[in-house]
Amino acid sequence: MSNQAPDVAIATEHLTKRYGERVAVDALTLTVQRGEVFGFLGPNGAGKTTTLAMLLGLVRPSAGRAVVLGVDVAANPVTALARVGAMIEAPAFYPYLSGYDNLRVLCRAGGIAATRIAEVLEVVEMTSRARERVRVYSQGMKQRLALAATLLPDPELILLDEPTNGLDPAGTAEIRQLIRSLAARGRTIFLCSHQLHEVEQVCERVAILKAGRLLAEGQVAALLQRDQRLRVRIEGDASKAIALLKALPWVTDVETAANHLIVVTPTSRAAELNAYLASAGVPVAELAPELSSLEDFFLEVTGET
Amino acid sequence: MFTRLFAAEWLKLWRRPLAWAMLAIFLGLLALSLILWTLVVALHEGVLGINLTVLRDEQVAEIRRQLSLPGIFGMVLGQVNSTGGILAILLAAGSLGGDYSWGTLRSLLSRAPDRRAYLLAKTMALLLGLLIGIVLGLLVGVLIALIASAWLGLPHTLSVRDLLVLPIGIARALLIILPYLLLTLASAALGRSTLAGIAGGIVFLIFDIGAGSLTSLGLVNPLIRQVINLLLQPNINSLVMQNGQLFGLDQSLLTNALDPTVLPAPFQATLVVIIYSLLFGYTAWRTIARRDITGAQ
Repeated sequence: MSNQAPDVAIATEHLTKRYGERVAVDALTLTVQRGEVFGFLGPNGAGKTTTLAMLLGLVRPSAGRAVVLGVDVAANPVTALARVGAMIEAPAFYPYLSGYDNLRVLCRAGGIAATRIAEVLEVVEMTSRARERVRVYSQGMKQRLALAATLLPDPELILLDEPTNGLDPAGTAEIRQLIRSLAARGRTIFLCSHQLHEVEQVCERVAILKAGRLLAEGQVAALLQRDQRLRVRIEGDASKAIALLKALPWVTDVETAANHLIVVTPTSRAAELNAYLASAGVPVAELAPELSSLEDFFLEVTGET
Repeated sequence: MFTRLFAAEWLKLWRRPLAWAMLAIFLGLLALSLILWTLVVALHEGVLGINLTVLRDEQVAEIRRQLSLPGIFGMVLGQVNSTGGILAILLAAGSLGGDYSWGTLRSLLSRAPDRRAYLLAKTMALLLGLLIGIVLGLLVGVLIALIASAWLGLPHTLSVRDLLVLPIGIARALLIILPYLLLTLASAALGRSTLAGIAGGIVFLIFDIGAGSLTSLGLVNPLIRQVINLLLQPNINSLVMQNGQLFGLDQSLLTNALDPTVLPAPFQATLVVIIYSLLFGYTAWRTIARRDITGAQ
């Protein structure tokens, strides 16, 4: 597994963590490509943080393996994590040290040049408050400092656990922008978040975990089309169109929305549907796949509704 | 990895208010002890116009030696191994327990994942801190001793030999603290908190001192003496006594626990303290190396 393709940033193979009888992560097999922004979703207690901790060598897997940037984490954590930046759970700092000194501690521990500190503080806009002790920082400031700490090693792979917790809307937007800019520079980002709207905006692929088990994984766009729904807008009276559509054997259902119809049918039938309505004298003004939101999809898959 | 982590641990320790508070308490208690000793001698000899003889002449002579050079070195090192040991336990517990309590252990070990190097770096940083504390204690002790001896007219006979053996005394004082330090780190790791570290260190210390008081039972039967001398405290006492003897002191005059006739031989004492240190150090290492590192406690 350590000889995996060089374009893979994270690969887990039947990764499992058991605490006595309880299975926190259950045979998780996952691949994240280099340069990808990957969303890792799940309700509380799904096993997201435990998975992150196993990827960082902090928690020992009960079974299976985790490979980061081509190196088995359990076998060689020093090499595996050398180019990884991580922010896991709540920001953790020495309260008696300043923000700057907290970063100095991490620089020393990680063998990183102290000149990086000013650069990362600039990125998270914490330069002016860096000399104050962390104990006086707000939650949002701690969150920014944690992000700065994550960026210290100029990481190739960035693991973020709820990075916008405690941030105001402006701060959240800035972090989202930062994630995009890091991705644009070729960094791989593994993002755990409850902010499904945020994940939908920045992630290309997602995986959904519940009770330690992987429920769904794939491209965000593909997952959201999973319902196979077509959005159809008809010029004029829609009642004739509804009757025609309901008569079709490959249409499961037709729902009426504000100014359009939702037709439950495979999206591959779009052209056929258009031709059928046109031949019946019903002009179609708009026809497109109906995308559900990631939140809808998440709630449906996890059964949290 | 060790060098990097040592630099990080040293920065944390150097900037930590708890470390400075412990140092201030140690130096304050040391100064207080020396002032009390000075007053005892002054009262015994009627320097203050009052003659109070609560101690025997040979005991006062021992205190006079402790207030003079080179005896002050032995006195300060004795203090290091009594009050200093307790303060070292508090400092070590705060050092590792804080990393667990604040959740900083996660961020540290996700950047520098060699847990053995982490424990070694922390231990070495604490020992360096203690070394600096001892050196400062010696300086403060010498300063107070010079003032006291000028007032009481005590003689000084500092030789090159005394200065040459001083590093041996310091090293021995650190060795005496080492098992308690490592036990505290092991307790903090097992309990994942500062409180667990303090509890483990202090409870053991109390138990150990209590067990050490059984030393006199060794006078009854040689076999009992051999068994008791396998406990940590009699061996610690033996090393403390040797440190006093290094500078011409006979602390058994002031403390029954330092009776050389029942204490273990120097070689055994050193060996037993090293074995206890290895045992506690191994427990700390095994706990940190094998346990999952969870979030803030």
